[in-house]
Amino acid sequence: MTRELIKNGFFYTSILVSQLLIFNHFNLFETITPSVYLIIFILYKTSYNKTTLIFLGFITGLIIDLSMQTYGCHTFATITICFLRERIEKNSFGVNANLPSAMIKGTQIINRLTFFILIILIHSSIYYSLVFFNTEVLGKIFYYTLINSIVTFIIIWVLSKLISNK
Amino acid sequence: MQSIINSILKNRNLIIYIILSLITFNSLYTNSSVHYSGIEKTATYLSGKSSIFSSYIYSYFNLRNKNQILIEENLQLKKIEYKNNYSSQNLENNSLESKPLNTANIILNSINKSKNIIVIDKGILEGINEEMGVITSLGVVGIIKSVTDNYASIISLLNTDLKVNAILKNSSTIGSITWDGLNSKYLKLNDIPLSSSLKIGDTIVTGGMSFYFPKGVPIGSITNYDNSSLEGYYDIDVEVFNDFSSLSTVYILERTDNDEIKTLLND
Repeated sequence: MTRELIKNGFFYTSILVSQLLIFNHFNLFETITPSVYLIIFILYKTSYNKTTLIFLGFITGLIIDLSMQTYGCHTFATITICFLRERIEKNSFGVNANLPSAMIKGTQIINRLTFFILIILIHSSIYYSLVFFNTEVLGKIFYYTLINSIVTFIIIWVLSKLISNK
Repeated sequence: MQSIINSILKNRNLIIYIILSLITFNSLYTNSSVHYSGIEKTATYLSGKSSIFSSYIYSYFNLRNKNQILIEENLQLKKIEYKNNYSSQNLENNSLESKPLNTANIILNSINKSKNIIVIDKGILEGINEEMGVITSLGVVGIIKSVTDNYASIISLLNTDLKVNAILKNSSTIGSITWDGLNSKYLKLNDIPLSSSLKIGDTIVTGGMSFYFPKGVPIGSITNYDNSSLEGYYDIDVEVFNDFSSLSTVYILERTDNDEIKTLLND
């Protein structure tokens, strides 16, 4: 139990630090800033406490908001996906939603893809809606959401493969 | 109490989510000028919309009072109109003087009989007497027939017994208005000689030669006439300005000199 806690703590810290130091400064084509820290909430085991997940989302979002000066956009998007995660799990994995590591092994690839895409898309759409906060730039919000979701998905998918292989 | 605690525990994730969301939005609202102005704009829009909605509801329930205020205001305007127009005309023409006295609401009305009667909610206690003229802002309605303390009945223009002195507004040819009991929208203008010139659309107003109405109160307009009568008079159809099926408020005209004239006639 303690070993698992340390392992998870190390994983959480390393992802957060890499987000703060690397991915936050990515800014590819002045458009792409991947939210790789979402992997924390994607790989969070389904058997763990859901309330803890929401608090974890709040703290993570807050740290990233403070570093990026986004005043709460990341926090709201993150706590929303943490709150909705249980429903997304059930919609994506169906009867397999009770498998602790359903998102990386023991389930169909299509289920895992759906789960990853739903979480990333919901997060990005909320985040960019809050960042622009203007209905007149809906096209721009859609464009940023799509581009960043694709890049974030690729990075998270590769990272999850590496973790599952380990 | 136990069930409340159970309910809170059951929905704790939702409650925590809402609280944390509120904290986040507060942070956005206080720290970011873009979000501050956006939220302010949304709040203004929502409060504006809700104010409009509540004012619609308030206006609807306040319509009766508004209507009463408008009637009172209209009465004052009518008094000014009569003072400025009819009084001077009447003095010039030696006609009888009258002015709007009071407003009344119609509580009973009929248009489907040959002798239609209207009942209003004011009587002797409000200064209403028999043989007073009754009008609306559109024109003549009838004459007070009988009065009790709180109610009065009116012989409507749509009553085959009523005959009102009338003239053609443009030529001042004198005639009389009656109803033939057929169509509530049309009256008959009688006693207009064939020598008079008239055309469709001419306005008919009261002639002023009666105890009831001053000169110039509108009645209707000519819609059709027949000059083939052998008696030497036109057969004229007049479309009445008032819609008798939807009357609601009327003005009662006070005659200031009726008694004096009646005394003179009796002598």
